Amino acid sequence: MLRAVVRRKPRLVDVYLLVGAVAIGAYFALPADTVAQTVYYSVVGVYGIAGLVLGSQRNLTARARLPWYLFAVGQIAFVVGDSIFDAYLIGNGTLPFPSAADWIYLAAYPVLFAAIALLVARYSRRRIHIAVIDAAIVTFGFLLAQWVFVLAPTAQASGRLLDRTILVAYPAMDILIVAPLAGLVYSRAARSPCYVLLALAILAMLVADEVYYGHGVNYRWLDGFWLASYVLWGAAALHPSVGALGADAEAPRPRLGIIRLLLLGLAAAAAPIVLAVQTARGANAHPYAVAAFGIVISILVLGRMALLLRAYDTARRQAESSQAALVEQNEQLRELDRLKDEFVGLVSHDLRTPLTSITGYVELLASEETGPLTDEQRSFLGIVSRNADRLLRLVNDLLFVARLQTGRLDLSLEEVDLAEVAEHAVVGAGPRAGAKALDLQFTSSGDTAVFGETGRLGQLLDNLVSNAVKFTPDGGTVSVSVRAEDGAVVLEVADSGIGIPESERAHLFERFFRASTAVSRQIPGTGLGLHIAQAIVDAHGGRITVSSVVGEGTTFRVALPPATVGAEVHA
Amino acid sequence: VSGTILVADDEDDILSLLQVHLTRFGYQVVAAHDGEEAVRLAEEHRPMLAVLDVSMPKLDGLEVTRRLRAGADGDLPVILLSALVQPADVERGLEAGANAYLRKPFTGEELRERIEGLLAGG
Repeated sequence: MLRAVVRRKPRLVDVYLLVGAVAIGAYFALPADTVAQTVYYSVVGVYGIAGLVLGSQRNLTARARLPWYLFAVGQIAFVVGDSIFDAYLIGNGTLPFPSAADWIYLAAYPVLFAAIALLVARYSRRRIHIAVIDAAIVTFGFLLAQWVFVLAPTAQASGRLLDRTILVAYPAMDILIVAPLAGLVYSRAARSPCYVLLALAILAMLVADEVYYGHGVNYRWLDGFWLASYVLWGAAALHPSVGALGADAEAPRPRLGIIRLLLLGLAAAAAPIVLAVQTARGANAHPYAVAAFGIVISILVLGRMALLLRAYDTARRQAESSQAALVEQNEQLRELDRLKDEFVGLVSHDLRTPLTSITGYVELLASEETGPLTDEQRSFLGIVSRNADRLLRLVNDLLFVARLQTGRLDLSLEEVDLAEVAEHAVVGAGPRAGAKALDLQFTSSGDTAVFGETGRLGQLLDNLVSNAVKFTPDGGTVSVSVRAEDGAVVLEVADSGIGIPESERAHLFERFFRASTAVSRQIPGTGLGLHIAQAIVDAHGGRITVSSVVGEGTTFRVALPPATVGAEVHA
Repeated sequence: VSGTILVADDEDDILSLLQVHLTRFGYQVVAAHDGEEAVRLAEEHRPMLAVLDVSMPKLDGLEVTRRLRAGADGDLPVILLSALVQPADVERGLEAGANAYLRKPFTGEELRERIEGLLAGG
């Protein structure tokens, strides 16, 4: 503790304990049974009371102070009792029995009991049953031992009734203290250092009391225990954790550690232990008392087991129901997913039906079988047709992305010449490129066969080429090349278009992302094309990359495994 | 090439479109507006091929296909025509016994290719 004091700012409680320890040492240094020593004894008692009052003032709110003030009242009674005791000793050396000191001592115990009980009640508000049963088992075990070893012999001893009653009252009062102390040991408050100090204080007092009344002898070292009890009690109130006890009300119950378990076991086995000890000593075994307490303790143990089993059942039921809730939630998600698919399918179907009529009849008109068209009429029909195609592509893209989201992109694979697919896309983009006077080029070299699905690869090429055409200003260049290169089939679609800022390239393949250069020029689009392109490339085991200079152009590069390698990959 | 083709679609506009195309290709056309009518007309007219929409009232195209397969003219070539275009839809159509599945929207050229392909194969 000294090292700790040197290292950090010493806490008041540390200083208090240190001073208290020195004071107790000093007590034994004083000459025994002198006036000085007996007066000094009471001084230490006042030191404990001061700790209680000061600690309550410093660490506790007004509402939380009551039990600690009650402790102080109890201690004051002890000190007053001690003083009366001492007064007799100093005065004429003989003690009357019973004296005023006895009445004051005895009155202090109920006050202490009330204070501890208040603490227990405050910190065990919820799920208190098991703590109460544990405390009851310990209390009844102690009660049995107390009865057989102390109370019964004292009560049956000869002498005046009043004398015997007073003598019995002290050990009986200890039982009164043990009950709430056991409650404290098994309550939530047990997790706080302040509680440990308090429990030690009470324990020190009980041990000294028991030895004193049990043997009727006032050993000198017993004073040490009583003095330690005063100091520890004051320290408990001064410990900063005393204020946090209230906030800890929701903390879990203390674990049934080795000490608590031993205490419980000892108490539960009190009946046979007492019986064995008394028989060995050849003393009265008090068989009725042992049997009665044994039964009570057994019932309590049974009750505790029943509570545990019930808690276990509850926990298991909760686990099961949360499991069921999870399953249900999963089911709901799946149902939601199914509904979404159904919805997308329905929208797609209902858009396609009118589109079928539009494109079908436009086609009939454009074929001029219903009559010759003027150039203007033909051009107008071209506009209707292009826009119907655009709408259809959008519907297809949405449907495709919805399917991607549910992770279903099953390819029916075959050997496909990528150059052929690319050329087809370039030819398809011819009219649009022509309208913008673009120089649209196509080159291919080497074995460009890949293993893939023609429809999807066509969709990929259409997306990339129509993007290039869309984002390239009039008179620019779009060049598409397919070649075998370093064990891969490489497709490049390069344009002299508006370009994509570097900061946006990372998001380019995200769903619904649109480059700022496209948005600012009001170039229409959904932000789905490249997302789809990447999904298709991924599904084919390839890689798509982009390089771009704003204002100069963009190049998309797709590398796919060649048909020979692809066959192994997809096998 | 000549002969009768049964077409069925609950959308009048598309039914007319099919009729125009098929007439242009040189076929006779019997037109049904729903599934039940399609089954009845198939029995009456004994067409050489059927083009059936999938989503129709009373009986859908899939059920009509199954009934045609189970009927007297069990190996009648059937083209299902639909705006349901997901792979699972196509699979269901072929499982019902259709010989081909044509997605809407379709072009006259696509329609002609499918019909001629099936008639040449049969």
